Amino acid sequence: MSRKVLIVDDEPSIVVPLQFLMEQNGYEVKTAATGEEGIETLSTFRPDVVLLDIMLPGMDGFEACQRIREIPEGQDARIIFLTAMGREMDIAKGMSLEPDDYITKPFSNADVAARVRKLFSD
Amino acid sequence: MNPRNKFWWFAGVSMGITALIVAILFIVLWRQLSPNEKTLLFSLFKNHFAYIFIALFLMLTGFVFAMDAMFHNYIIPVSKLAEEVAVIHSVNPAHRIRMDGSRDIARLIRILNEGADNVESLRRNVSHKIQAAKSEAEEEKNLLASFMSELPEAVLICNADGKILFYNKRAREFLEAGGGPSQTDGADGRYIGLGRSVFSVVDEHLILHALDEIAEKLERREAGVAAYFVLVGKEGRLLRVEAVPILNKEDPRRVDGFILILYDITNRIETERQVDFLLQTLVRRFRSSLASIRSAIEAIIEYPRMEERQLDNFQEIIHQETMVLGDALDKTAEEYDRYVRTHWPQVHMRVGDLFTTIQRKAKEKLGVALKVNETDAPCWVKIDSYAMMLAVLYVLKRLKETTGGKKFECRFDRKERFVNVDLVWKGEPIAIETLRKWETDPMALKSEGLGLSLREVMERHDAQLWCPSCKEDRKRSALRLFLPLTQEPDAEISGAAGVVPEGRPEFYDFDLFNQPGQTPKLENQPLESLTYTVFDTETTGLNPKGGDEIISIGAVRIVNGRLLTGEIFDQLVDPRRSLPYESVKVHGIQPEMLKGKPTIDKVLPMFNGFTEETVLVGHNAAFDMRMLQMKERQTGVRFINPVLDTLLLSAVVHPAQNDHSLEAIARRLGIRIKGRHTALGDAMSTGEVFLKLIPLLEKAGIRTLKAARQASEKTYYARLKY
Repeated sequence: MSRKVLIVDDEPSIVVPLQFLMEQNGYEVKTAATGEEGIETLSTFRPDVVLLDIMLPGMDGFEACQRIREIPEGQDARIIFLTAMGREMDIAKGMSLEPDDYITKPFSNADVAARVRKLFSD
Repeated sequence: MNPRNKFWWFAGVSMGITALIVAILFIVLWRQLSPNEKTLLFSLFKNHFAYIFIALFLMLTGFVFAMDAMFHNYIIPVSKLAEEVAVIHSVNPAHRIRMDGSRDIARLIRILNEGADNVESLRRNVSHKIQAAKSEAEEEKNLLASFMSELPEAVLICNADGKILFYNKRAREFLEAGGGPSQTDGADGRYIGLGRSVFSVVDEHLILHALDEIAEKLERREAGVAAYFVLVGKEGRLLRVEAVPILNKEDPRRVDGFILILYDITNRIETERQVDFLLQTLVRRFRSSLASIRSAIEAIIEYPRMEERQLDNFQEIIHQETMVLGDALDKTAEEYDRYVRTHWPQVHMRVGDLFTTIQRKAKEKLGVALKVNETDAPCWVKIDSYAMMLAVLYVLKRLKETTGGKKFECRFDRKERFVNVDLVWKGEPIAIETLRKWETDPMALKSEGLGLSLREVMERHDAQLWCPSCKEDRKRSALRLFLPLTQEPDAEISGAAGVVPEGRPEFYDFDLFNQPGQTPKLENQPLESLTYTVFDTETTGLNPKGGDEIISIGAVRIVNGRLLTGEIFDQLVDPRRSLPYESVKVHGIQPEMLKGKPTIDKVLPMFNGFTEETVLVGHNAAFDMRMLQMKERQTGVRFINPVLDTLLLSAVVHPAQNDHSLEAIARRLGIRIKGRHTALGDAMSTGEVFLKLIPLLEKAGIRTLKAARQASEKTYYARLKY
């Protein structure tokens, strides 16, 4: 059974290449444009990895991360923050929610693919 | 006691004693007589009663006439003379004695008036000399006071107890609710004034903390002993406060007072916050867009055989995101420019006005004749006028050196967003490389050299200097200055900037250093050292109990024997009732003037704040106090200040005078009354009268508040009730 990746980001310009990248790596991919939509998709799709943007319309990525951790469907999901918030303080704030990884934009495709792969091998 | 009453008391008592002595003598004589002699005397008295009665009556009448003549010709004039001479000697040297009396008294008056003339002329000479000697120091004082009052920072100087010895206009604007020259708008009763406590406008703990910090620094013998804190001022303004100690001359580790310098940092903080926000937004935008672009490019490189549709998608993403980046950059640059430009100390100015100034300076400093051709429509620019003026003068100086010419023409050509200012001369044009060199060389114009280069000044103004070709006239050359135009500023704002105070503002009184402590026993304090609020009310009528209401309150403060005409309270009050025509005739306040004015329940708390820690002074103050007391229950405001009344005090120092109206006292004391029957005008006149009464009271041995109140209570007028 193929691994599942959920991409939660409101900008199609990053979702399209990411989705392509993940699919080329052999993962099953679904996307969501808001935090709420991401949580909804989570319960049916049951992803192994969530690539989560922080600056989302409505519920932000921090809150979405907390919610995912709270619901039973989200217990096993690995979360990677993928965000433009790159200040030291932003990173510290994000890391305090204990995600599995934190990647700041811009990133290299190879790096993202490698980090996702690493999570699957752990 | 009134001399008239005193005299009749004396006459009555002496006549009574005389009658008693005569009666005793008669009784003693009567006892000595034999019965026959008594019978004879009785019959004699009985038979000639009419003659004896007439003789006694004539004697008594003669005595009364003699006493009356003596009374009017000597006793009353002498009594009045003493008061009038005291006025001449103490408060009004121009006053002259004019009264009836005997020939001797008239002669005495003539001699006294002549003496007064001599003394006055002598005093005038002396005072003229003193004035001349003082004028220079006074001028410097004026200069300092005007300078301080126009400073962009607020300055407060206080003694060790926190009493304000000096403040400037800005201090009121920053801290006092309402601000401005009149304090009437001080809605929450926070007032700045000489002799007032600074703690009513700045939190006591902040200042005490700063003073502790200063004391520690002094203890450690540090070089800079100022302390800093931030406080929130009027309308939520953020104020950075620098507290600097005033050190004792003998013991430099003892603090005699402190200076608070307040800077308004609201705009700076706001600009910094906005610029920070701008930068953060830009960084995030860049990160996001770069992520998309990079990801797309890497995918294209990594998977060269991807479907064409997918490739198109990625190319579109790259194209879109580069456009987004370009827009974000433009927007950020524009916004940043706006914030930064508002941060420079620039003012709105007409280009024509700027170049008229430059024309004059060029003539004075460079010997260059600059002909300025005015434009039809005014071109407004926002500039640092001094830096721009120096920059143009620097260019003219260089032009003069390079071309050898001394005549230049200045032409304006208004475009949509900027104005071209051409400096035109007859002769060869300036090479671009020469201009580049001028731009980078430091500008040095004698002692006025600014630490900036021409290019820096141009960049600061978003302006440019260029050498265009003169196609129409090949014999002429020009340098062109492009200046960005701005909109004409609001008339109100540009007008307000030029307001200059008419006279020296009375914002300081350094004698307050010698004031007694914060909680003295008022009663035993000398009159001249107390702080007073002199006030007056205008009302709808003269019957407080009958429903008459206050329609105006005017007050002025007296601190250290000075009437502070800049620290006033002047407020009309809506009485919520009709204004009788008779009262309008007195005070001239028309009913429509009171429409929309605050009611008494709003005004009295403000007035109470204004009078805090002062002694109230009024003319016929019993009436005004009664008006205030009638409002105690409605407003919850109680005036517990001690009260002095100039009417009673005048009766104390001049018991022989019958007229103690404000006009009569003012005339007697040589005060010209202005604005009579306006609350503020009357308060001012009463204040001047009171200041002249203080030395007269002192002469009568009345030096403290307690003595003044006790003496007032004994006068006839004190028994009047409202």
